[in-house]
Amino acid sequence: MKILVLIESINNKIHPVSIEALVAAQSIASENSVEIYPLCLNKNLIDDLSKFKCTKVLNVENLDLKNYEPMTYLDAAEKVFKSMDADLIMFGHTYETRDWAPRLSARLDIPFLSDCININLSDSKLIINRPIYQAKLIQKIALSGKGLVSFQAGSFSSENLLHENSPSESLSIELNSYDSIKQGERFQESAGGVDLTTSDFIVSIGRGLGKEENIPLAQSLADKINAQIGASRPVVDAGWLDHSRQIGSSGQVVSPKLYFSLGISGAIQHLVGMKGSKQIIAINKDPNAPIFEIADYAVVGDVLEILPKLTENL
Amino acid sequence: MVYFNFIEQILISALILVCIGSFTWELSKRFKLVLKGEGTLPFDNIPARLWRVFEEFLLQKKVLQQRFIPGLMHAFVFWGFIAFALITIDHFFRGYNTALFTDSTRYFYSLAFGIPWSFLVLVGILYLAYRRFYLRPKYLGEKISYTSGIVAIFISTLMITYMIDAYWIVYDSHPSALTFKINWWIHAILILLFLFLIPRSKHLHLVLSPINIFFKSFDTPNHRAVPIDMEGDEEELEKLLTGMGKLTKSQTLDIFSCVECGRCTEVCPANRGGGVLDPKHNFILDLKNPIMETNSVDVVGNINVEAGWECTSCQACTEACPVGNEVEKADETRNLQVLVEGNVPQEYQKLFMNLQTTGNTEGSTSSSLSEKLPIYDGTQDFVLWLGCFSKYALDPKYGDSVISLTKILDKAKITYGILAKEKCTGEPANKLGDKLTYNMLMQENLETLKEVKKIITMCPHCSINLGTEYAKYEKIEYEVYHHTEVIEDLIKNKKITINKNNNDKVTFHDPCNLSRGMNVTKAPRTAINASCSNFKELDENGKNTLCCGAGGGLWWKKETVGKTHLVRAEQVIESGSDTVVTGCSFCYGMMNQGLGPLTPQDQEPIKVKDIADLVAENLS
Amino acid sequence: MKICVLMKQVASEDSPLKINNNGSGIDETNLNLITNEPDSYALEEALLIKEKTSGEVTICTLGPDSSQQVIKDGLAKGADKAIHITIEDLKNVSPLSMGKVIYNKIKNENFDLVLSGLQSNDYGHAQLGIIISEYLNYSHASLVIGTEVNEENSLKIKRELENGWFQSAELTLPACLSIQSGINQPRYATLKGIMSVKNKPVDKCDATELGISEDSGYKVEEVFLPKKAKETQFLDGSTDEIVSQLTDILKNKIKVG
Repeated sequence: MKILVLIESINNKIHPVSIEALVAAQSIASENSVEIYPLCLNKNLIDDLSKFKCTKVLNVENLDLKNYEPMTYLDAAEKVFKSMDADLIMFGHTYETRDWAPRLSARLDIPFLSDCININLSDSKLIINRPIYQAKLIQKIALSGKGLVSFQAGSFSSENLLHENSPSESLSIELNSYDSIKQGERFQESAGGVDLTTSDFIVSIGRGLGKEENIPLAQSLADKINAQIGASRPVVDAGWLDHSRQIGSSGQVVSPKLYFSLGISGAIQHLVGMKGSKQIIAINKDPNAPIFEIADYAVVGDVLEILPKLTENL
Repeated sequence: MVYFNFIEQILISALILVCIGSFTWELSKRFKLVLKGEGTLPFDNIPARLWRVFEEFLLQKKVLQQRFIPGLMHAFVFWGFIAFALITIDHFFRGYNTALFTDSTRYFYSLAFGIPWSFLVLVGILYLAYRRFYLRPKYLGEKISYTSGIVAIFISTLMITYMIDAYWIVYDSHPSALTFKINWWIHAILILLFLFLIPRSKHLHLVLSPINIFFKSFDTPNHRAVPIDMEGDEEELEKLLTGMGKLTKSQTLDIFSCVECGRCTEVCPANRGGGVLDPKHNFILDLKNPIMETNSVDVVGNINVEAGWECTSCQACTEACPVGNEVEKADETRNLQVLVEGNVPQEYQKLFMNLQTTGNTEGSTSSSLSEKLPIYDGTQDFVLWLGCFSKYALDPKYGDSVISLTKILDKAKITYGILAKEKCTGEPANKLGDKLTYNMLMQENLETLKEVKKIITMCPHCSINLGTEYAKYEKIEYEVYHHTEVIEDLIKNKKITINKNNNDKVTFHDPCNLSRGMNVTKAPRTAINASCSNFKELDENGKNTLCCGAGGGLWWKKETVGKTHLVRAEQVIESGSDTVVTGCSFCYGMMNQGLGPLTPQDQEPIKVKDIADLVAENLS
Repeated sequence: MKICVLMKQVASEDSPLKINNNGSGIDETNLNLITNEPDSYALEEALLIKEKTSGEVTICTLGPDSSQQVIKDGLAKGADKAIHITIEDLKNVSPLSMGKVIYNKIKNENFDLVLSGLQSNDYGHAQLGIIISEYLNYSHASLVIGTEVNEENSLKIKRELENGWFQSAELTLPACLSIQSGINQPRYATLKGIMSVKNKPVDKCDATELGISEDSGYKVEEVFLPKKAKETQFLDGSTDEIVSQLTDILKNKIKVG
């Protein structure tokens, strides 16, 4: 089986989710005859990639890297896949890959299993788990044949990455030009703001806090334990807090020592942003809140009752 | 007697004709507009209506209640007006060289009424002018009212000219004809100019307020039913939709009766919480020019939409209005936004969808409270109507209060059961403008309630809808009771005895739906006084209660400009009470939400209880 | 402008989700079925574009009979017509197959724009809108958080990226857009809109007529409840007891400040 692992780059470094995809590929290669080909589109990554255990690092050398170009990436991936007669492409589930991977799926006429959390290979059948219904349930899919698989951030740990010097090869591929999609500049809207990714302790606010007026209660607790304030998307949408506080797939991804969530139900977009936290305490009224699935300590109760007393007690 | 010659009489007659003519013309213009309004003016219950005119108009009850000193000053001017009625007629008669009074009657009338009242009126009007132009209270508005200035000058001058006249009468002095006539003409012209001014300004309330108070509804609130028949024909629907943009006759009369005093805005919880809503402008005065300019009453679209969404529908504005206006128009503007424009705030879209798909506000399919209670099988005394708040634990502790009620009923050997098919009464949909969903829920509930005779409920929102509101659409055969009414009954008939064991400093927050909406204020107090030894009223109590902020569907509103919901909570904290008791599920929830964050760190959290809790705790 | 909006009916978040008897999917009784929320944003965007450019909006839904409600709601809000491709059961159909079926139906309609919600809140593949763009050979953009229709043949969009970043792009028409939630404020259907639904055309056909086939390489074997990787410890007791337990954890186990 030939697996291409698509390597995304961020700030000229290997994107962490791509490492995780590589770990995923390595995890099924161990007991089977599987060839792994990291495919990167940025030559600055070749050296680092060559330190990881794989069959060969591939780099498309004539790709214009200044901007992400969906149709060019599509073109490159299609051509490499076909020329190598690969079976599978694995990659991280990011806003970038989900923009063009479905087109690749249609072009190659192979299914795309997105946002997966697990993969196993037995009898040349891949068994892949992915969350459904906002991660309340898991779907087990059998892929027998070619396919694309993207992995949810945090599903595999970079600690499990196997290191070994591997060869590399630069490919020169004739790519079609196109002008149907012209990507523009990237920009930020919230000016600066807090970098929660470096915080050790985060107290995070959800809709369960009730009203904006209750935020001081959370702030008091945060002050007591030297934590930063984070928030779920609905709280930011409602204007209670600035976007820079948002944690989740369209906010910041954090992995602090402590993530203390208040009144957050745990929608998957939020969990993705914080499930890597070392310790998670969650308070929510709803005993079935998904956040309890990943919490270390769970309290089914009224945040507004507990908060002031806890703050006072500390 | 000074003699008026023929030319002078022609002049007097001409002026009278012109001014009365202008007065009548302007008045009839406005009445024609009133008649363009939807619905009819009510003539039922005439004795009660007349009594209300007596109390509120003649005795100036609401004027005095809200703002006592200014109210008293106004009462002086008003009562003086009445005392002067005959004197004024006599005045004009004399222009025709006849008289209404004989000399001696005039003498005694002046001494007994004329002179005292002229002083009181002068004091009154000067104080009011001082208040309006010097003190400038904010509810009277930013702009200086020129008509008020003119009126102040007119009335003062009228009183002074009268006093001069009275002096001459009492001291039997004979001024020169010229002096007399100058005084007479000033007095006469001011009165005629007054006639000219009245219909064109807020002073029209002089004429319209007794009429408006007469026609005021006995239901609070009193919005039109909007029966929507989905199977009906297009034309019916068109008529319904165009009708929604129009005011009723009574509402149009309100606009012209408004005296711009600002009491409505002063009591409005949304306004006091810092919101945009200003009932005096948003619900009344903003509509005046559109009515006059378009010569129609199709002006609901001119109500500020954002302000309309802030209203809790508590009717404090209507209660406070001294000229009988039914101020609140949130219902009308929301109907327009939801049914005609499709502009619904996102959080309410989810609410409506929940009501449509699951028949309750939360989109829930199970209720743990319901599982604890017996089902109604037709044999029990009462249907215990739970309401969505209790069923889906909108406040997690309120379910215990429902259980408290069941304990009381059990003690009194009253049987009850809940309806398995209970759906939301539709109150949130009703209040938020989604009359389509409301009609749907109402029809289903009416079907379920077909054989039911008596309902008891703890939520006044439910009781008002099941009772008064549904009755606007269909004839209902059942009776609805709020639990405080039933409890009072049980106490009075000695079916339960209560021990006065509670020594906390207790206060009561009157739910606006209960006190103003259902006219129930005594019942909860019977229960409190039976169980508490240290009960102290809040300043704004009874029918003057300050809404907790949850009404009008605002419980579900996620973002508000103002902090409507915190104003009452602050008052409770300031009262220094240990416990606040209330009689409505939403008030209970709001007290919990507001008191927690607002209570200062060093103060004990205030206990929140329902009347049922209080009584159940002290049952013997 | 001819705009198509792909809309799906899904079970609401509050529905009780239980596994069915053979573990092949969820128990479908007692489900609260609603329009997929991201699709509501897509429909609203389509209606806004229609209002700016004049044109027509067609709703296209692939689903069982109950999906009619999605069409009714969408037509009530202002869409002009609808296509209903009926299929008994969607849970084992891959997004690729769904895309093929829909493509077969709409390929001759010459839509200028095909909008879809970013993903469906049930299976969350987040692929359909983009798969269709490949079949139709249209330009595409995903995570669209703003649109601006320029002249006849081009479209400016704003995309959402991770970490508070955004990107603008210019697309040629025709185009497929997958729309991110929060782009606009979906409207509520007016009474007139609701009444007008009965006069709007709905083209109904079956997926089998459009070449739906079981994807041999893709099979949903099982649906199950997630096992917790870590032991979640639930703290019990009165508020005060919980507070003291939390204090202990914070101070002694996690060692906060």
